[in-house]
Amino acid sequence: MDLLHNLYMGFSISLTPINILYCLAGCFFGQIVGVLPGIGAPTAIALLLPLTFSVNPTSAIIMFAGIYYGVAYGGTITSVLINVPGESSTVMTCLDGYQMALKGRAGAALSVAAIGSWIAGTGSIIILMCFAPALARFALRFGPAEYFGLALMSFGLLTVFGGEEPIKTLISTAMGLFLATIGLDIVSGLPRFAFEIPQLLGGVDFIVIICGIFGVAEVFNSIEEQAEGELVKGKMRLRDLFLTKAEWIASRWAIVRGSIIGFLVGIIPAGGITTASFLAYLGEKRFSKHPERFGTGAIEGVASPEAANNAASISGFAPLLALGIPGSPTTAVMLAGFMMWGIRPGPLLFQTKPDLVWGLISSKFIGNLILLLMNLFLIPLFVMVLRIPYTILMGFIVIFASVGAFTVNNNLFDVWMMLGFGVLGYLMKKLRYPIVPLVLGLVLGRLAENSLRQALTITGGNFSIFFTRPISALFIIAAILAYLTPVIRWAMKGLRQPKVDVG
Amino acid sequence: MWMFFRRRVKLKTADLVGGLVVLLLGIAIVFFSSQLPYKTEYGPGPGFLPLWLGIVLIGSAVFVIANILRKHSTVEAFLKPRTKQSGMMFILIVISFLLLPLLGFAVGLAFFTGLTMRVMGRHGWIACGLTAMGIAIGIHFVFGQWLNIPLPTGIVGW
Repeated sequence: MDLLHNLYMGFSISLTPINILYCLAGCFFGQIVGVLPGIGAPTAIALLLPLTFSVNPTSAIIMFAGIYYGVAYGGTITSVLINVPGESSTVMTCLDGYQMALKGRAGAALSVAAIGSWIAGTGSIIILMCFAPALARFALRFGPAEYFGLALMSFGLLTVFGGEEPIKTLISTAMGLFLATIGLDIVSGLPRFAFEIPQLLGGVDFIVIICGIFGVAEVFNSIEEQAEGELVKGKMRLRDLFLTKAEWIASRWAIVRGSIIGFLVGIIPAGGITTASFLAYLGEKRFSKHPERFGTGAIEGVASPEAANNAASISGFAPLLALGIPGSPTTAVMLAGFMMWGIRPGPLLFQTKPDLVWGLISSKFIGNLILLLMNLFLIPLFVMVLRIPYTILMGFIVIFASVGAFTVNNNLFDVWMMLGFGVLGYLMKKLRYPIVPLVLGLVLGRLAENSLRQALTITGGNFSIFFTRPISALFIIAAILAYLTPVIRWAMKGLRQPKVDVG
Repeated sequence: MWMFFRRRVKLKTADLVGGLVVLLLGIAIVFFSSQLPYKTEYGPGPGFLPLWLGIVLIGSAVFVIANILRKHSTVEAFLKPRTKQSGMMFILIVISFLLLPLLGFAVGLAFFTGLTMRVMGRHGWIACGLTAMGIAIGIHFVFGQWLNIPLPTGIVGW
């Protein structure tokens, strides 16, 4: 009953004209961002975040959520029509989606992606409605030791999922944590790494870093790796969007499997929508009786990853809302937004801000429906976006990033610092240092350090608190195992390699 | 000159420099955090976490450097054919940011867009000028008037 009551309250908030408008704007903007190669959801949200200082947080978060899952829908269009993924989460869609387009079934590929995303999205919202409050109730038992353990586990999981080179993931995380320590220490009041620069005493604002590392860095990287694809020729009529009976039979269970994989990956800290779509595609291929069809235009190869990325974009909100721990770069940027609005996500959020939580959850039903309709009827409009000259687009990103950085403290020092972080982000990507761990370290740094210090203050500096409390011990053990995984993998690889007989 | 650098700078060299920078950063963090109290009466002090982060950075950097030196030489270049354009974009941003106090935000960023279109997109002067004007008006009204962001004004008064 509580659930229905909360949902009713949520709809009474999300169905207000202003929130429908924000949801529509978010979905529309997300769809455009998804279509444009090189710009992802974290960049879009990071650039818009500073402009929502004065907006009602519920409306703003509804819009940002719309952008997040809108991007997952939008990226499909370019993946299918020009074989260039608009978004990293739709890379797998290129493999079969583009092949379908070449065979004249672009409409069916886009249609199954939209329908699959809608089914996965709606199903995930229903599970999220039941799962997130339960997770929040469980998390009410958390103290500083558990929060430190959880943060440590999130960082640890990043080393498993975060990139090709775990050591670089570790460096990136440590750099993010270090950036979070800059400024006045809230316990002792001592300045740390401020070097008597007054602008650094308050710390380096995450908006400045995010605008640089996602916005400006993306500009440099996109210019360098500018991907050009050719639009598949031919007109798409409304009837081309309908699936044949055989296509529907082939894709329906792929959608279900993709949704389940996506939901599960989304709730894991450091999971994210890209990993979800990747695992769903591989899973589907392994599950298929005809794996040889994958890569040649198999509709399951579109349905499964598309369902997975949408399911993950919904379930990723569970750890964010219930624990205050982001599971992906986009939710990490959103966490920064919550902090900016003075709201702390976590178990108490469901009690202190039920309007925000349930307004957001219910808005996802509306957003997914809007996106389904957009993707079935407005595809030509979004394809037109690809004709915007690249130089103008890059200019817009720099403008938004500059204004965003400036609004934090109304000074140009932050604008320059933003540019510096842009260069850092660009170089990190070139040298294959993952950026997500830095952002996660930055956003969770204060929580991790404060929890660590609070926990050790309780015990007078005794570290046993992390192992004597069962939940904390579980998190710490999981973190240790996660950090050891690359070492174990390395050792196993060494053992498996055949010994070369020198004699 | 550009081609010389493109051929000479390999990814391995750049990776090595990256590792050394991380190593130096780690050393600097350890040095500066050792000047902060490591422990207080109630528990860890402000120097506790940064010190350990510095140690982690040093250890990781040593591992990265050793790994790079151990690997066989790769031919992969660090500078790509379009890296020059990225560098050009950086220069254009720096020029525009330097002009921000003089031109103000709206005009300065509009100037940046026009300049980018002209230098990097090879668009015509009229298209660049009109777009820049539109951008200046857009920034002034959207950010300055509608969102009430107190953007610095320049000689134009915007």
